[in-house]
Amino acid sequence: MSRWLSPLALPLAISLLALLVTACAPRPPADDKEAVADYRETNDPLEPTNRFFYKTNDQLDAVTLKPAAEAYRYVLPDGARESVHNMLVNLNDPTVFFNDVVEAEPRRAGDTLMRFLINSTLGVGGFFDVAKHWGYPNHDADFGMTLALYGVPPGPYLFLPIIGPSNPRDLAGFGVDIADWPFTWMTNGTTIYALEWAYYGLNAIDVRSRVLDSLDQVQKTALDPYATIRSLYRQRRESQIEAIRNDHRATVPAWFPAPATQTE
Amino acid sequence: MLKRRQVFPLIGLAPALLWRRRAQAADPAGFVREVGDQLVGVINGPGSTVDKRGQIRQIIDRFVDVDGIGRFCLGRFWRLATPPQRQDYLALFHQVLVTSISGHLGEYKGVRYTLGRVSPHDDTVWVGTTIFRPNNPQADVQWVIATVDGGQKIEDLVVEGTSLRLTQRSDYAGFLQHNGDNVQALIDAMRRTLAQASQG
Repeated sequence: MSRWLSPLALPLAISLLALLVTACAPRPPADDKEAVADYRETNDPLEPTNRFFYKTNDQLDAVTLKPAAEAYRYVLPDGARESVHNMLVNLNDPTVFFNDVVEAEPRRAGDTLMRFLINSTLGVGGFFDVAKHWGYPNHDADFGMTLALYGVPPGPYLFLPIIGPSNPRDLAGFGVDIADWPFTWMTNGTTIYALEWAYYGLNAIDVRSRVLDSLDQVQKTALDPYATIRSLYRQRRESQIEAIRNDHRATVPAWFPAPATQTE
Repeated sequence: MLKRRQVFPLIGLAPALLWRRRAQAADPAGFVREVGDQLVGVINGPGSTVDKRGQIRQIIDRFVDVDGIGRFCLGRFWRLATPPQRQDYLALFHQVLVTSISGHLGEYKGVRYTLGRVSPHDDTVWVGTTIFRPNNPQADVQWVIATVDGGQKIEDLVVEGTSLRLTQRSDYAGFLQHNGDNVQALIDAMRRTLAQASQG
């Protein structure tokens, strides 16, 4: 089976195709300075196309992922769902580790490596987050964030089929992360291939189930849910990137004997 | 007429009262605990959803800078609004904020929170909390505390890195952009959405 048939390659291909068929948002007249400033700040020149895909995704979600996530939440108790979530996070840790290293963040890379080793073994295949209690907290890292730390701007907002909110930088990062996830390259057997699909399927349900109440709230109360989600996505990404920038923890782990300090 | 005997203890009390005010101003974590305990007490307490919303509204009106947030959320359209429109908008905005804050804390029993780090941010202080709601992953919520008219007020909630007032502002700007910058259309839509939310 070709490795390019990775489950995530499909939405990526559809998204790239979608970018070819785009309509542009009208620019406000130049004499309306505040409206022009708003237009620049929104940075959503493909808004009509984005809104079309937002609507399509929303309709698709209402009959597929949302009911699946609701059923998942109904059937499994809190603790069991948390364990499945831990397992999925653990499987993604090789990608997080790769990005920690490329970001030149040794402390974070060390945390991820220890998390993967501890949780894969003592945490029974990642189902239990033992490492968290041992001083190795979980953190986010993907290639979109890595690019941001290298100074790559996000570019205009994109709402893509299946993938959802994104931008050129994060979409490129998404593609790279498919390639840097070791399991992508293990598609020699049907079983592994099926497991890979199961991973992506379960991951989608897990992610959706964790935002059921928040997204419901947005759809129920927002006057323009599309604009609200655009703002939420951008703020969330920015805060994740900021969190990496502000992580100034020392590289030496807490249990390492502290070197003697000179006192005057 | 007050006698000297009565006045002296009052003079003695004044520094204590002043001290209490100062202590309050210097203790944003205590302030957040006071508000948080009251909110959680209402959510986990007895009463119907309508009763609880009424009680939450009282707490929010007392501790949150609702009018300030409301003006911020309307952005440049605040200047375009007529005085009666501003009044209508702010009145509705009080209800919007109640729905929004209740939504973040959850309207079901079993909500609890822990206090985290306190850190200064420009002219505000951020107090970190972690909110635990049944059926939902834990959420990191920062309470942005500002000094308004000499007292402490909540100016924003930053939920998992997303600012409540910034998100609300984007929502209104998005709506207005597609409705010819018409503030009255926004007010009507707010009224409709609130009516629907209170039914559902």
